[in-house]
Amino acid sequence: MKYAYFPGCSQSSTAEEYNRSLLAVAKALGTMELTEIPDWNCCGATPAAAIVSPTLPTSLAARNLSIARDMGMNEIVAPCAACFKNLRKASHTLNENLELRAQARGALRSRRPDGPASETASLAVGDRDLSRAPEVRHPLDVVINDVGLDNVPVKKPLHGLKVASYYGCLLTRPSPSFDDAEHPTTMDRLMEKLGAEAVDWAYKTKCCGGGIYMFREDVSFAMSADVMAHAKAAGANCLAVGCGFCQLMLDLYQSKLEKIRRTTFRLPILFFSQLMGLAMDLDRAELGLEKLIVSPFALLAKTVDAPEGSIEKKAPPKAAKLKKWGEP
Amino acid sequence: MLQYEAIHPRYETSPEIEKIVEAVSGCYQCGTCSGSCPVAPAGGMDYTPRTIMRMIQAGLEDEVLASETVWTCSACYSCAVRCPRDIDITDVMIRLRNLALIRGYPARTGVAHRGKVYNTDFMEIVRRLGRIYEPELVIRYHLKTNPLNLMGMAPVGLKMLLKHKLRLLPDPIEGRREVQGIFYRLRKEEARREQQVREEQQARKRREAHAGDEAPEEGAR
Repeated sequence: MKYAYFPGCSQSSTAEEYNRSLLAVAKALGTMELTEIPDWNCCGATPAAAIVSPTLPTSLAARNLSIARDMGMNEIVAPCAACFKNLRKASHTLNENLELRAQARGALRSRRPDGPASETASLAVGDRDLSRAPEVRHPLDVVINDVGLDNVPVKKPLHGLKVASYYGCLLTRPSPSFDDAEHPTTMDRLMEKLGAEAVDWAYKTKCCGGGIYMFREDVSFAMSADVMAHAKAAGANCLAVGCGFCQLMLDLYQSKLEKIRRTTFRLPILFFSQLMGLAMDLDRAELGLEKLIVSPFALLAKTVDAPEGSIEKKAPPKAAKLKKWGEP
Repeated sequence: MLQYEAIHPRYETSPEIEKIVEAVSGCYQCGTCSGSCPVAPAGGMDYTPRTIMRMIQAGLEDEVLASETVWTCSACYSCAVRCPRDIDITDVMIRLRNLALIRGYPARTGVAHRGKVYNTDFMEIVRRLGRIYEPELVIRYHLKTNPLNLMGMAPVGLKMLLKHKLRLLPDPIEGRREVQGIFYRLRKEEARREQQVREEQQARKRREAHAGDEAPEEGAR
């Protein structure tokens, strides 16, 4: 299947390894052809709706959706959770709410053919056609429902990895999304297919607080620390995520979270695409594992890269007992 | 006092506020939203979502729009998917945030002020470049709030720099004029609507002043 690809801002900076590993996996799968939307613009993340008017996120997304449609694509893949939610919401709004579609078209009207010749220059000059907005999907959804778990070639099973799948807030919400809002299982199923152990835990869809990090650092760290503490208590030795911002909060600030909880987590936070790449035995350089702040290499050497049979001999580490709610 | 307000809500008429009041009118105060909220128990809200719902119903417009809650809602939609009355509480919070900003509500607390600065600066960069440029956002934000905090960001910045996780130069898009056009037109439309609301308010205040027997309004907290 062919998809228009919307990388999103963070996938070219803070979560560059997500972009890189996802493209590598898509290439190796063969059935997931991603073509980047030329000259895409920022979806506005969370702040967009608060500024100017509530129609701003729809209008910003409308430009991307219309470029994708002009590419002849019916579906867009957006790996970042915020982009995924914003574009998905806008796509539904434009297709269902004619009044808002007219408003968005008004905001986008008569764009000028300015600037040097670019990829967009091939588009007709004039108003953007916002009808029939493409469907917006998350790569996890595409891997599970379009590619199919059976078609993921697992060459090097991830034995020994105990993965806590962390969906965060915007992958499954607002519902309906591709998975259940309260108890999603897509990533867990993928992890089991890859040969890892999917850890069952309660904080799968709890928010990491990334959206308010800038102005309530203490609160967002308390929220992220909760997530980490629960993953650790459930016996995970790494986390799988599908959002660049969750990854940033849990990985970059993990040492700070440890300080808050006066404990050690030392859990590598990997993108699900990186874990897929590992299991599919892709070139490690393409997976950007070295970019993670909490290095996964020690864990990988003990588990995935360990010689055959050495893992089974060791008794599995006992899962820490869950403390009372709210306790560190 | 609250009871009186509930019977006589003192809203400044505006289609936006009417939309919000209508959206939350079905709330029966079960508290599922506050129980689902990850921010409130972490101490990030001055009023819990449920309280905000009740305050809207009671007509406490000034208090709601000056609250920290409208800024610190992390927009995770936990409350929205669980609400038994199908109220999109997250959407209500975002609309309130929008109103608080457009109406120029004085930030009652530092958090509300910082939330305002962050959201405004973020979108200003998107308006100019078409995409976000993180280093500028962080520097602008800290200069406007507490420049000393920039020193605290240095170790994190260095960590990211070493891992090549920092965009060193802005990455403006070709179609940024089109993006700027979106902001320009929506802003103009919004200003027109706000002007209309303000004129209606002034007309009403004049009428009230003429009536003369209005009790002096109790000051906000």
